[in-house]
Amino acid sequence: MLLEPRLRAQLERLALGVRGRVTAQWAGRHSSTRLGESLDFADYRPYQPGDDYRRIDHNLRARLGIVMVRQFEAEQELPLDIVVDLSASMEMHGKEHSARALAAMIAYMGLASGDRVRLWAIPGDGSRTEAQGPAGRHLSAWPLLEDWLESRPTGGPGTLRSLGRRLASTGGAVVLVTDLLVEEWREVLDGLAPTAGGLVLHVLAREELYPPMAGDLDLVDSETGAKLAVSMSEDALRGYQKAVEDFALEASRRSRRAGLDYLLVEAGQGAAERTLEGLARREVVR
Amino acid sequence: MRFLVPAALGLAALAGPLVVLYMLRSKRRPERVPSTMLWREIGEPVSSAVPWRPLKLTWLLILQLLILALFVLSLARPFVAEATVLGPHTVFVIDTSGSMAMAGRFEQARAAALDLAEDVSEANLASVVEAGPHPTVRVAFSADPEAVAEAIRSLRPGGGAEDLSTALRLARGLAAPDRETTVVIFSDGGPASLPEEPVVGASHMVFDDHASNLAISGFDAEPSTEGTIRVFVQVENHGADTRTIEVAIDIDGLPTGSTEMTVEGLSAAQEVVPVPAGPGSVVTARLVEANDALPLDDRADLVVGGGADRRVAVVGAGSPFLTALLESTPGVSIGDPDVADMLIVDGGPLPEIDRPTWLIRPETAPDGMDLVGLERNLAVTFSRPGDPVLDGVDLSDTVIAEAQRIETLTWLPLVSSGDTPLILLGEVNGHRVVYTTFDLTHSNLVVQVAFPILGANLLQWLGGGEAVSVSTEPAGTPIGLLTPVGHRARITLPSGDVQEVAPDAATFNATDEPGVYVIEYIDETGSVASSEVAVRRFVPSESSGPSREIAVAPAPGESADEGFLIREWSPWIVAAALALMALEWWVGHQRPGFRRREVTA
Repeated sequence: MLLEPRLRAQLERLALGVRGRVTAQWAGRHSSTRLGESLDFADYRPYQPGDDYRRIDHNLRARLGIVMVRQFEAEQELPLDIVVDLSASMEMHGKEHSARALAAMIAYMGLASGDRVRLWAIPGDGSRTEAQGPAGRHLSAWPLLEDWLESRPTGGPGTLRSLGRRLASTGGAVVLVTDLLVEEWREVLDGLAPTAGGLVLHVLAREELYPPMAGDLDLVDSETGAKLAVSMSEDALRGYQKAVEDFALEASRRSRRAGLDYLLVEAGQGAAERTLEGLARREVVR
Repeated sequence: MRFLVPAALGLAALAGPLVVLYMLRSKRRPERVPSTMLWREIGEPVSSAVPWRPLKLTWLLILQLLILALFVLSLARPFVAEATVLGPHTVFVIDTSGSMAMAGRFEQARAAALDLAEDVSEANLASVVEAGPHPTVRVAFSADPEAVAEAIRSLRPGGGAEDLSTALRLARGLAAPDRETTVVIFSDGGPASLPEEPVVGASHMVFDDHASNLAISGFDAEPSTEGTIRVFVQVENHGADTRTIEVAIDIDGLPTGSTEMTVEGLSAAQEVVPVPAGPGSVVTARLVEANDALPLDDRADLVVGGGADRRVAVVGAGSPFLTALLESTPGVSIGDPDVADMLIVDGGPLPEIDRPTWLIRPETAPDGMDLVGLERNLAVTFSRPGDPVLDGVDLSDTVIAEAQRIETLTWLPLVSSGDTPLILLGEVNGHRVVYTTFDLTHSNLVVQVAFPILGANLLQWLGGGEAVSVSTEPAGTPIGLLTPVGHRARITLPSGDVQEVAPDAATFNATDEPGVYVIEYIDETGSVASSEVAVRRFVPSESSGPSREIAVAPAPGESADEGFLIREWSPWIVAAALALMALEWWVGHQRPGFRRREVTA
């Protein structure tokens, strides 16, 4: 079980905040980029034959002598694409477990809000770089989504490039749950432009933030197997921490430029609860 | 700064290997990380084909070099030399004679010695020699200031005379070949100059004092013609002013009377006082309110001896002089030869010696003595000095018409004329024997004042020392113990303290305190089987005078003020090194320069 019942009960009362308008197929409760049948007035346009008489603004016709038709906002469902990074780099220090829980948390919140939730994972199966998971619009789909999230295997090299391009201009919101430890992380963040914004949950382990290493080491990349000789001097550790800080700051800046909220999450016990608290404090969830 | 072990500075070369360790690259061990992406960005030169790298000064290296330097320095034992009396090895010779109790001399000496003892260390060893009647080494080669101070604190001035000469010989005997030894003498100088003065390699603490002192310099008992006891008291005034002093007489601790004496400056006054004391009584004379510099000599004790008369029989020719001697000697009566306790054999054949006997020119000599001829017209040229038998006996005018020429190795010549012994002391068949090589009537001895004194002393010696008063000895003189088999001795000191003595001990030596010593022999059941008393008197020579400066001289090749105290820095350096080690551990594990900052975005 990825989410505790108490957390799920809390999530049912919350919803992911959306910055822009959505473009979707089905009606929902989010403002759409299109005009529709809601009660919210949007604009006028000249009457054209075939228009519904009930939308003619008679007050305007009497005052100005022109026939105008009222237009209203459309409300559609929020397409919510959740990408969870399960590559080999997430496998270490318990990051993948935290990532699954975070993805589950967002997915459950989306289902509870009536959003169209779609799950993605990297790496994919076979030759594909990503795997598309099940989708759902209601909490009735939760067991299916939870099962997929729990059973999705971990390991292998991961890349966000392909999935980033695919989700670049989605009409909904995108949530990335990843450590961003891929070479193309800048390109992916810069390329994302979801109409409804989204969220980057940057998952890093404490061992990555404050590496407890000493001596002369051959660092082995968990995904590529590449080696890097490092002498863990005081200066090296200081430089590494500076690099981590810069990494997080730049990821935050690029995320916001793409219209995404950003939150650095330290993997480990209670990561989901801590993340929810951070998101609520930033009013990313309401 | 100088070093005790300068060779240890060579260990500073260990800094080389330490620096090399910092320049060597250790074998790298693989460490799997999620990604090397961020590590590549730190710009650290991390890889090299050569096994060494340029030396980079870090806080750890600096601290470790400092720690090494401090440890090397501590092993080299740096020191500074401070001027002091103490040398590498200093022997404190502390006088505990009676005169040291005068005018706070001993307290001054002890305070000065304790002050010096505080500086005792591994570099400045110390020994303590007690210069009392029987000099002893209290502490030898000690580096422990507390042990030296404890030995000094345990010393007390007694009533005896110091034997400074022996004490200095003991101090010299403590000299070690590898350590220069200096002697510090805490003494008022004693009554006479030392034979080895000036004392080389020594310094002397001088007491600049002068105080008047009254002392009981003589105290003895004698029988009166009325059959009672009279005590003889002599009070000596060592000050310049005439003093009138009350002398109280106590018997067994109870006041029985007093007499007032006036003593002129630098002279003595005597008084004879009859006292109602019997055999075994302890008679004490006290100066009342003497207010002088030395309280120890304001009191004297004696124990009245005596008991049943000894029966003496004269065998042989005999003479009226002998008869008169026996009749006038107290505690002696003339008896039948068969039941007599002692015999006087005046000429004739040598009888069997079965009791104490005085042999006067017998026809044959006893065992251990060879009769080799006769000598005529002899004068006394030698009297054994200090022998109690000759106390008060002046034989300088004695001449002898004829005497036997005796050769002996086992008898003790008491009085001689050249090589010819005249009176000898010895033992035959376990009995004391006095041998006179001349007929008393063939000399003028019998008409001299010395004869009854000598005769009484000889009879007293033959009888085992019984006299009117128990013999007293100077303080510090050991008490002989005659502990029966299966018994143990218990001794009550003048102070009232009780000491148990080992069953096999032949003497009791802790007799520096003047007064009456009660010796009790305890049997296996714990009851007192027998007891005796001994008296130790304050030595009169210790009562007198100002302190005398002992002539000292520096050791050859050394100036008089060359003494210095070695103060080592090693303990402080080791403490600093340990503190730096703690700092090094903290730097190594906590990395003060690498503070964790929370990564926030």
